[in-house]
Amino acid sequence: MTAIDLSLRVEPGTPLLELENLRTHFKTERGLVRAVDGVTFTLNRGESLGIVGESGSGKTVLSRSIMGLLPSTAVNHGVVKFAGRDILGLSSKEMRHLWGAEMSMVFQNPLNSLNPLMKIGKQITEPLKLHLNMDKIDARDTALQLLRDVRIPEAERRLDQYPHELSGGMRQRVMIAIALACGPTLLFADEPTTALDVTVQAQILDLINEQRRNRNMSVILVTHDLGVVAGHTDQIAVMYGGKLVEYAPTKSLMRSIPRLEDPSHSRLATIPGRPPDLVNPPKGCNFAPRCLYAQPKCHVEEPSLTPAADPAHVYACWYPVGTPEFEKRDAELQETGYMPDDISAVS
Amino acid sequence: MSYWLQRLGAAIALLLAVSMLTFGAMNLLGDPLFNILGPSAGDTETEEGRQIIQAAKDEYNLDDPLPARYVQWAAGFVTGDFGVQFGLDGEPPVSDLIKERLPRTLTLLIMAQMMAVTLAIPWALFSASRADSAIDKVSTVTSFMFIALPSFALAVIMKYLFVIKFEIFPLIFNAADPLASRLWQMVLPAMVLALPAASVYQRLLRTDLITTLQEDYILTARSKGVSKRNVLFKHALRPSLFSFITIFAINTGALIGGALIVEQVFIIPGLGSAIVEAILREDFPVVLAIVMIVTAGFVVMNVLVDLIYSIIDPRVRAS
Amino acid sequence: MTDETDVAPVVAPADETTTRKLGIGFWISVTWIAVVVLAALLAPWLPLKDPDANFIVPGERPPYSPNGTHWFGTDQDARDLFSRTIFGARISLTVGFVAIACGMVFGGALGILAGFFRGWWDRIISFVFLVLLSFPALVLAILITALLERSQRTISNTLGILSISPVGRVARATTISFADREFVLAARTLGAKNSRIIIRELLPNVLIPMGALALLGMAVAVVAEGGLAFLGLSVAKGSTWGKLILNGSGSRLLADSPWVAFAPILVLFITVLALNFAGDRLRSYFDVKETSL
Repeated sequence: MTAIDLSLRVEPGTPLLELENLRTHFKTERGLVRAVDGVTFTLNRGESLGIVGESGSGKTVLSRSIMGLLPSTAVNHGVVKFAGRDILGLSSKEMRHLWGAEMSMVFQNPLNSLNPLMKIGKQITEPLKLHLNMDKIDARDTALQLLRDVRIPEAERRLDQYPHELSGGMRQRVMIAIALACGPTLLFADEPTTALDVTVQAQILDLINEQRRNRNMSVILVTHDLGVVAGHTDQIAVMYGGKLVEYAPTKSLMRSIPRLEDPSHSRLATIPGRPPDLVNPPKGCNFAPRCLYAQPKCHVEEPSLTPAADPAHVYACWYPVGTPEFEKRDAELQETGYMPDDISAVS
Repeated sequence: MSYWLQRLGAAIALLLAVSMLTFGAMNLLGDPLFNILGPSAGDTETEEGRQIIQAAKDEYNLDDPLPARYVQWAAGFVTGDFGVQFGLDGEPPVSDLIKERLPRTLTLLIMAQMMAVTLAIPWALFSASRADSAIDKVSTVTSFMFIALPSFALAVIMKYLFVIKFEIFPLIFNAADPLASRLWQMVLPAMVLALPAASVYQRLLRTDLITTLQEDYILTARSKGVSKRNVLFKHALRPSLFSFITIFAINTGALIGGALIVEQVFIIPGLGSAIVEAILREDFPVVLAIVMIVTAGFVVMNVLVDLIYSIIDPRVRAS
Repeated sequence: MTDETDVAPVVAPADETTTRKLGIGFWISVTWIAVVVLAALLAPWLPLKDPDANFIVPGERPPYSPNGTHWFGTDQDARDLFSRTIFGARISLTVGFVAIACGMVFGGALGILAGFFRGWWDRIISFVFLVLLSFPALVLAILITALLERSQRTISNTLGILSISPVGRVARATTISFADREFVLAARTLGAKNSRIIIRELLPNVLIPMGALALLGMAVAVVAEGGLAFLGLSVAKGSTWGKLILNGSGSRLLADSPWVAFAPILVLFITVLALNFAGDRLRSYFDVKETSL
């Protein structure tokens, strides 16, 4: 690995990434799509954050907004500070010096995210030549080392192979090697394991985590799978309808995941309905129309993020578990036997 | 390997079929004897007339059955002997005529294709990277209009503008001029062929580029910090070239047709005018030779396309 | 479920919405085509000038430039170009129509047979298509018109033969894509005869994409007639658009009286443009794949 001291870039005490009321809207023929609608959080150097949410919740758009990788139909508002510097208004020409160098991204589908007509070696050395001005020989040596870092067997031979000659897991490792090539301080991993075999998924996640520790890099892991973030991130942000609805240390949030210890016949709770229309979002809480516990207030007023018992854990809900209103409604639901699954079968 | 053998076999079968068809049609629908001798072919009354007819029949082996004549012709054709012209007392031999005319048509075609490609690729890159902008729409309309403009109409328009109005180009191709000025005289005719071809290529390549630009690996390249320009040139262009190459080959056939007409309008003595003259005199050996050369060229183009495919796509190479 | 939906608005293709409607351009094109076809059909009964009469103005040398009496001007023999263009449309459009009709009937039938029965039928028919396609179209046209007398029928039939393989290939591809669909399989399991399946089930579905092709094919045929005219091989008697343009394209006439060539060029161009545009719209409306052409 070429020794580049990245710690110098961030002033001590400055968070690596700060988001303040980030909104990303798309102009479409149907109207303005509020894909990301007011997201605020802070991420420190070396920390990892998992962004979870169902399809259409805006998590992928959020990560691409931060990186500035969205097409011109997207309009951004708010503040995104990277190492203390506002980057939201930067043109793609200016952002280019950050892409691959300071922040990089691993995409969902390794089958499509590598150029099928370009040798692996060339795809890895491209950013090295671009950002670090390496010559051909240095870049090749570095690429070789990177492939070894991501534990690809027979690394030397792989450099001259094409993506179609590698397995899916191997390709995702190559993708990670490319993303790590210039030693970025922030890595986005957008559903990095969704397209992979179950057996390979854990390996890839462990690899990302290991590289994060070795390189003192921050990672934002975007996924719809809570199991993925459980063991691999420090913080979890839950998105719904373009908004951040919960933000917490991983440990404190993980209690809401179904566990293997649960009786084996209890069905997983599915939520009826579909994600909110982001052109005409519902009044009040975005989730209220699908929420079995919704009260009149939920349909009128939008809840804001409030701290829980653990002040690091914030959530946006008027009547969370434990409030009298929740317990009362819960008792009613139990009584009628009207459980969520039943509706989902109908809807 | 067996794939290429198969391709070769298919190409040969195709050439055989085309040559038999042409040879048969000309001998059955036309009357070779009449074409050789003219009105005196009917002169069977006098001994002298019969002698002339017999001499001609002997010279051109007209008494042999059709298949035998075909085999004889084919054997000659493969060795580069294209036979004897019917008209003009058989001089010069067809191969000499071809040798004189072919380079001109070939130059015209190559020049036109080079112009079309050098115009179409930057044009497609430009409009694909600004898809649906105002300037892209203007360019789409422009290419659509050029596609609808037949080559003879475009030839007349260009001749009016650049030869008559602005007098930039000379009207007539002069075979006696030095090479440089002969090439210059070909520029306008080549342009007439190139503009519609470029429009066809641009339209296709633009569509394919827009599709490619939505691929995940383009986003990967961008996220690596590759500049927009290099994303287009180094990542998007090559994967978008496949249908372009196919159309390039197919369009060569259309261009040959266009070249015949353009040669007429700009009075270039190439294969086009040779075949038109030969048809009007019903000079079958010349027609046959030209049809065969054009078809062979077409077949070779198609095999080349396959080769080029395997060069640009490693996945094709593997299979 | 992939997460593609998350970025759905990002790739919202601008094309999709436009291809779902035929659009105003389509109707303008169709109107123009209808006007030209009607004018050509009704030409003898319309109050047009005699296309072969010489309207010589004493003391002035023809050709006369466009004016109130001669909207498109006259040619070097003082014949009215407007009525000549309309009468020329009669032959040009008939040739184009007969050619594409011929291509649809024979190409369509062969294509459906090849696509339906596959096997040897398919191999033989596909090879015939390939042979026909490997002549550059114009060379084949030259060959046939040179060997036969240059009547309107010969020209139409020649261009018809040329349109067999392009139309046939689309018919074959479409048939193949439909032959395995549920409704065909259903008809088969019910014991329907092949002929019944072809006529009742396949034909209606194959006709739709072919209809879109017909307009494009007609444009090609009209242009091809013009090309033949420039080689001196078009219809021997009567005037066609190609012959009118050829007549005006001599250097002297083009320099002094460009309208003699440009009037028919303009009409031909707009007609071909309209045919292309309407065909193109129909094709994307019915979603016929460009690659199958």
